[in-house]
Amino acid sequence: MQLIINGLVIGSIIALTAIGLSMIYKTLNFVNFAHGDFVAFAAYIALLTNVALGMNLAVAFAVAILATVALGVVVEKLVWMPMRRKNATQTTLIIISIGLALVLRNILIFVWGGDTQSYNIPVRRGFDFFGAVITPNQILVIVTAFFLMFLLHHLLSRTKIGKAMRALSDNVDLARISGIDTDRVILRTWVIGLGLAAAGGVLYGLVTAIRPSMGWFLLLPMFAAVILGGIGNPYGTIAGGMVIGLSQELSTAVLPTEYKFAVSFIVMTIVLLIKPEGIFGWVR
Amino acid sequence: MTGLTGSAGCFDAILPYIVTILLISSIYAIFALGLNLEWGFTGLLNFGHVAFFAIGAYTTVLLDLWGCPLVLSIIAGVALAGFFGFLLGIPTLRLRADYLAIVTIGFSEVLRFILLNEEWLTRGPFGVYGFERPFQDVIPYQYYNTFLLILYVAILVAIYASLERLMHSPWGRVLKSIREDESVPSALGKNVFWYKIQSLMLGSAIAGLAGALLAFYLQYVSPATFKPIETFHAWIIIILGGTASNRGTIVGALILWTFFSGTKFISRLVPLESHQMGAFRMIVIGLLLMLLMMYKPEGIFGKKEELALSD
Repeated sequence: MQLIINGLVIGSIIALTAIGLSMIYKTLNFVNFAHGDFVAFAAYIALLTNVALGMNLAVAFAVAILATVALGVVVEKLVWMPMRRKNATQTTLIIISIGLALVLRNILIFVWGGDTQSYNIPVRRGFDFFGAVITPNQILVIVTAFFLMFLLHHLLSRTKIGKAMRALSDNVDLARISGIDTDRVILRTWVIGLGLAAAGGVLYGLVTAIRPSMGWFLLLPMFAAVILGGIGNPYGTIAGGMVIGLSQELSTAVLPTEYKFAVSFIVMTIVLLIKPEGIFGWVR
Repeated sequence: MTGLTGSAGCFDAILPYIVTILLISSIYAIFALGLNLEWGFTGLLNFGHVAFFAIGAYTTVLLDLWGCPLVLSIIAGVALAGFFGFLLGIPTLRLRADYLAIVTIGFSEVLRFILLNEEWLTRGPFGVYGFERPFQDVIPYQYYNTFLLILYVAILVAIYASLERLMHSPWGRVLKSIREDESVPSALGKNVFWYKIQSLMLGSAIAGLAGALLAFYLQYVSPATFKPIETFHAWIIIILGGTASNRGTIVGALILWTFFSGTKFISRLVPLESHQMGAFRMIVIGLLLMLLMMYKPEGIFGKKEELALSD
């Protein structure tokens, strides 16, 4: 039971952060290796607002999302948009993204050092829940994550911009022909994708230690979730994130905890071998 | 007279330093030549090259410690690295280019966890030392690094020459055509998947050999020797020197390690803590990778027409 609760908590974080990775992957046709480092960046901005400036965590949450999105917009304008104009290949974009990942992570190390840190919030006792312990922080993570996913669902299915985003990730050329301003929609895809990633990063900081490599170690589970869910399919990605989170935690019953990370690798490799288009392709 | 002896003394002090730079450059040149075969000539995105470096190093030194003859240990390390290249290629090389990148980077991290945690096999975080080095009983200790340098340069030249020959053979031409547009060689009846697997295996085997050479030089290997950043050292070397240029790769390795030794001198002058200096180096590497790919993707010695322009 305890493992299932832990799995749901980490699963909802993986799901939340992976949605942006998946959307960008499909829309811009490249896998953004810097995505995890945006997640870590958000956690550090929240840490800065919460600890150094003494604001409460709700303010820190908002500041972190704004700062991460702003950074993402700057990178889009300085790097991704000019590269699209040059018709850069997918492989070029991937190599640039891994360079960006190195830069972002090491800026965090440069400024804050490599040690683990945590938010300045009161430690509260967990509740007893069917023989397992669930902490208020864990409840907060699950509730916030699901609320944000619900908002995303509303945005994608009910609003014009959401429909344009889905159209663009379905077929770029068709979307362009039907009069969609692709650059603007791509920018909004970044804003929403990185906004969710930043939210996930702040929440992740609630249940784990904050350190510069936290986003890096989330990258593989996120990739696994994206591939499981079928690239560009947000609902599939959410399902994939849950599956990865649960299987990571449940694996600790039989494997040493150090190998949690390997689980997503193994799941991903098996999916690529048997059904590379993703398992949850039908979740639409 | 005093000036002369002074400069000779200075030379004596600097010589071991130069030997060290050349040694480490030659090891990384071999390591990067393996990646250049995969990325430069075949267009494969391998982000976990360091894994094969580690497999080669660990296999060699562990077999040696268990009493296996040195030459056999090295061959086993090279073969095992190649075999793992084969294993990783199977699920990924039929699919889009980025799947290989994801799976290899994942593999290199999982491997590092195994090296850290399976202490019965790898001695965990303490690493492995006390293994035999080639001809260590014959060569006097003070000349040993010079001997290694001559040996490594010879190996580097041999690998360089064979790769150049391979790339001008029909096999090499198929690899280049895969890089440019897979559908052309497959229309000609070539088994593209199998050629890619061969390229990945050979590149990984070369990385395995470089791993063994690194172990002999360091006299010590540990999981910390094989962090993901080593992969990106190889990437920087290739892109600096020019994608698909073996000569450029060798020059790139020299430039990178000269730069690194330079920053070590500078670090004594600037008031930065050691973790900051390390982070600063990585920021430079990352920025260099981004800027080169954005503005000069063909590198210094690369030819523009030799660039992988197709997916």
